[in-house]
Amino acid sequence: MQTSILKVKGLKKSFKRFQLGPFNFTVEQGIVVGLVGANGSGKSTLFRLLMNIMKEDAGEIHVFGEKRTGDEWKQKVGFAGEMLGAYDFLTIHEIKNLISYWYSTWNEEQFENMIKRYRIDTDEKYEKCSKGTKKKVDFIFTLCHNPSLLLLDEPTAGVDIVSQRKMKEDLIQFMDDGEKSILLATHTAEEINQLCDEIIVLDSGQIRHSFNKDEIYENFGRLWISHVTDTMKNHPNVIYCEQNPPQIITNHLETIENILKKEQITINQVQRLLMEEVLEYLIEY
Amino acid sequence: MKIPIHIADESREPIYHQIETQIKTLIVGGKLAPGTPLPSIRSLASDLGCSVITTRRAYQNLEATGYIKTIQGKGTFAREVENTKMEETKQRAVYDAFEKSVELGIQFGLLEDELNEIFSSVLKENFKNEG
Repeated sequence: MQTSILKVKGLKKSFKRFQLGPFNFTVEQGIVVGLVGANGSGKSTLFRLLMNIMKEDAGEIHVFGEKRTGDEWKQKVGFAGEMLGAYDFLTIHEIKNLISYWYSTWNEEQFENMIKRYRIDTDEKYEKCSKGTKKKVDFIFTLCHNPSLLLLDEPTAGVDIVSQRKMKEDLIQFMDDGEKSILLATHTAEEINQLCDEIIVLDSGQIRHSFNKDEIYENFGRLWISHVTDTMKNHPNVIYCEQNPPQIITNHLETIENILKKEQITINQVQRLLMEEVLEYLIEY
Repeated sequence: MKIPIHIADESREPIYHQIETQIKTLIVGGKLAPGTPLPSIRSLASDLGCSVITTRRAYQNLEATGYIKTIQGKGTFAREVENTKMEETKQRAVYDAFEKSVELGIQFGLLEDELNEIFSSVLKENFKNEG
């Protein structure tokens, strides 16, 4: 039996010009859920609501099977989302002393190792760090208190390639025992490909799509066909159409293949779409 | 650790099945000797770009059919495979490969006789020094 590490029901928040939700989704144990969507689609606001930094108008949030009460549940959560701003006049070492004080499970050895691994100078003031270095420091702070759930808001944005690879390795390592979970907001297809099991697509504060990653692989495809008819052009499962050479892109291969057969259109070649292509269609349409 | 597995982007075969078949072939072909550690379901999913649900399913099937063994806290390893099963798997892999070639032929509109001719000449070419 899989357990929900995070369960969100009817979560809603209204702003003057923006309405978020209602959101319903779960993050199961052992699963990485990727959160994608254009800038301003509500990803960061969702994280703030989840962390109780911002109060919801309606809805319920269950963490580790229980309704969030008090602050105790935060001991088991690692959140990276540019929240260190208020302390940015301190050095990384001083921030570490502040943060580690609050966690009974703080692992100093792991912190030291990660500081070395990511080549962080802990005597540097946080505000003086580059954008990428700040991201790395945020990332290290989310992992060193033995959390079971990570909430990561674009953890690798602005981070150098080598460190990105290391972060990916650290997250795979984190997930390896199959008992932890991650909710990861990202803009890179590579992170979706290499880290995520499920994908939630946000658009203007709403969940537009939500599925298992392998469904994408099974359902999306580009078909080169003998000719394109109006029926094909207007079919809801055809998301793109080109005449020369005749080809269509579908979000449901099986349906389209059956219709093509009925219409007596020959399929010359079928190809899966790349994750980059799929994400673009999901976000854009 | 990496193992040479590749998901074909033009195949309709489910991913878990592609993984299963390829690991079987690696084990039977001696490329993964008994006791060789396999990647965790999480790192394999990461390498292949699929979900852990899929890699877990493939590993569960391989475990049930006796090709691999998972030891709690240590990882997953290739197992010694019985001779009869070894033969079966080899036959199956070759059969599947032939089937794929025939499908390609049919797609290009070749007739049975023409396929037969190609098949015979490939055989002749490969066995000419032994006959």
